[in-house]
Amino acid sequence: MYNFKSGLAQIDPVSGGFEAGSNFLVLAPPMSFAEELAYFFTKPLPGEYAVILSTNDRAAGVIDAFKIMGVDKRYVGTIDAITKSSTPGIVDTSRLMFVASPTDLTGIGIKFSKMVELIFDGEFSDGESGLFPPPIRFCVNSVSTLLMYRKLEVLYQFLHVLTSKLKKIDGVGFYLLNKESFDDKTISLIKQLMNGVIEVKVEQNTHYMRIQGMKGVSSDWVKFSVQKGQVVIIP
Amino acid sequence: MISTGISGIDEMLGGGVPNGSWVLYSMEPGVDGQLFMISTLFSAMRDGLSCLVVLPHTTFDIFKHDAAKKRGCSLDIFNNKVVYIDAADRERIQKSSKKPKEIKKKWEALIEKVCNEHAVEVVFLYIDLLYDDLGLEGALSVANSAKTTSKTTAIVEHLNLEGKRSINRFIKKYSFDLIISISSAFRSQPHFDYFTLLHTSWWPVPKRSVPFIITEGKVVPYIPKIVVTGPAHSGKSTFVTNASDFGISIDRRDTTGDPTTVAMDFGWLHWKDFDITLYGTPGQTRFDPIVPNLLNHAIGAVLLIDATTPQALERALHHVQLIKDKHLPMVVAANKADLEGTMSASEIRKQLKLSKDVPVFFISATRKADVRFVLESLVDFISKSKY
Repeated sequence: MYNFKSGLAQIDPVSGGFEAGSNFLVLAPPMSFAEELAYFFTKPLPGEYAVILSTNDRAAGVIDAFKIMGVDKRYVGTIDAITKSSTPGIVDTSRLMFVASPTDLTGIGIKFSKMVELIFDGEFSDGESGLFPPPIRFCVNSVSTLLMYRKLEVLYQFLHVLTSKLKKIDGVGFYLLNKESFDDKTISLIKQLMNGVIEVKVEQNTHYMRIQGMKGVSSDWVKFSVQKGQVVIIP
Repeated sequence: MISTGISGIDEMLGGGVPNGSWVLYSMEPGVDGQLFMISTLFSAMRDGLSCLVVLPHTTFDIFKHDAAKKRGCSLDIFNNKVVYIDAADRERIQKSSKKPKEIKKKWEALIEKVCNEHAVEVVFLYIDLLYDDLGLEGALSVANSAKTTSKTTAIVEHLNLEGKRSINRFIKKYSFDLIISISSAFRSQPHFDYFTLLHTSWWPVPKRSVPFIITEGKVVPYIPKIVVTGPAHSGKSTFVTNASDFGISIDRRDTTGDPTTVAMDFGWLHWKDFDITLYGTPGQTRFDPIVPNLLNHAIGAVLLIDATTPQALERALHHVQLIKDKHLPMVVAANKADLEGTMSASEIRKQLKLSKDVPVFFISATRKADVRFVLESLVDFISKSKY
């Protein structure tokens, strides 16, 4: 079974990394470096691919964030749910796909399947192929945005399909959710779809995270900082 | 009759959909099936019908652009009128009231007004956001408001997140005349989509599933392909012939006077809801360059070997590699197992470097039951195979 390295020396030696087929909720308050943390875990290592469903930032912004981490953009695909509303004529490419809006779950599902298919067919990275089956890291850069536009029940069913598909292709998924904007019922329903939770909090300007549901990894809070897209755990 | 815009489906339906029908395209998440509704829209426009498109999830300019991109030509080429109610209208209605009952009434009034003003004959309704806003009953009541005359046809596209339960509701409770589900065998490789005619109220069509591909802006029903390959004289032609309801083998006599396949074997059989086409490859090395092409677009492969001829395994290893290169699900059929001196499964596995998940069946290709068992196992394996 393939393991996706987290990139953190405190996690990988004890757990081997994120297990293929697992989905993690990144539960965080606003302005807590949660997006950077999710992107850091989504960063593809050599031979891997990343797909980001962006519901709150244009594809260009997502790609920039990955470039800052030193990622080769040929291995990063973005499904952009923002740009098309202002640029209706924008055209899809293998690595940049656009849907009308975050309400368009039909479009999001189709573009996700298409991107995965292109990766498996070796038509994603200009002829450069990685491992087979291709290890795919997936990130939804805000489930919160989706929840603003769609009913919880509908979104739950949609995320159920998405997380199951990711499991089927042995990928790993990270789903950002703003824990201050939704009630406990919503959060606990979304948690049911996940294998683990990466929780973030900020106290006196210090950022903490804890990972629950990862074998061998302590679920204690640890301090972390982010510099140029790189996450560092502070002892 | 109104054409669905997909000739294969029109044929199954006896020419199309009767005027005044309720049609549902129910899409599983992730399946690229939006062209079904778009094809029907283009067809209605081509036939000069007045159309209304209700798009609560997007704006009409995005829709027009996407439809043109998918279909390969613009809706603007048609002279007849198409009217849109889009996300801007939804926003206006949502802002005007918070009560679902009032929202529903406003939708119904708007649609009825537009239908009357433009003498709309076919309504195309993307139902998902209305489903969120008003519930299924409310959304369908809104759709019903478009049926200002008994001849008005309603075509509804729906993202089915609930599976069969949702379909049963559409059939039993809401009396749709035609329900087509559009699904995807979501496996990593190879990947295929299929539609299923689930229900027709006016025409006795048996429930069946047909894979499709999208090519040049059209939905094309697609027959899956299984390739039977292996060394010469392993029994491929016999296998294909005995597997098929109908088949041909293009054989000539070789230098020893025995028949040998010189182009390919071809067979067709119907299994469950699928029509399956079998392609048998020739086994001689001189035909090797065409084998990878025969494997293109296949969804699975049967490697046939002669279980009594260990020396042919080296040649079979070449075929294993070709199948692996295409990432196809594979089963191995060790033929002539009814004869003396057959190799053991472990010997075959070792020589062919097979992984544990590749099944090896000992068969006689002369026995139809053996052959069908191998194929059924392969289809079963394909539907469960991850890679």
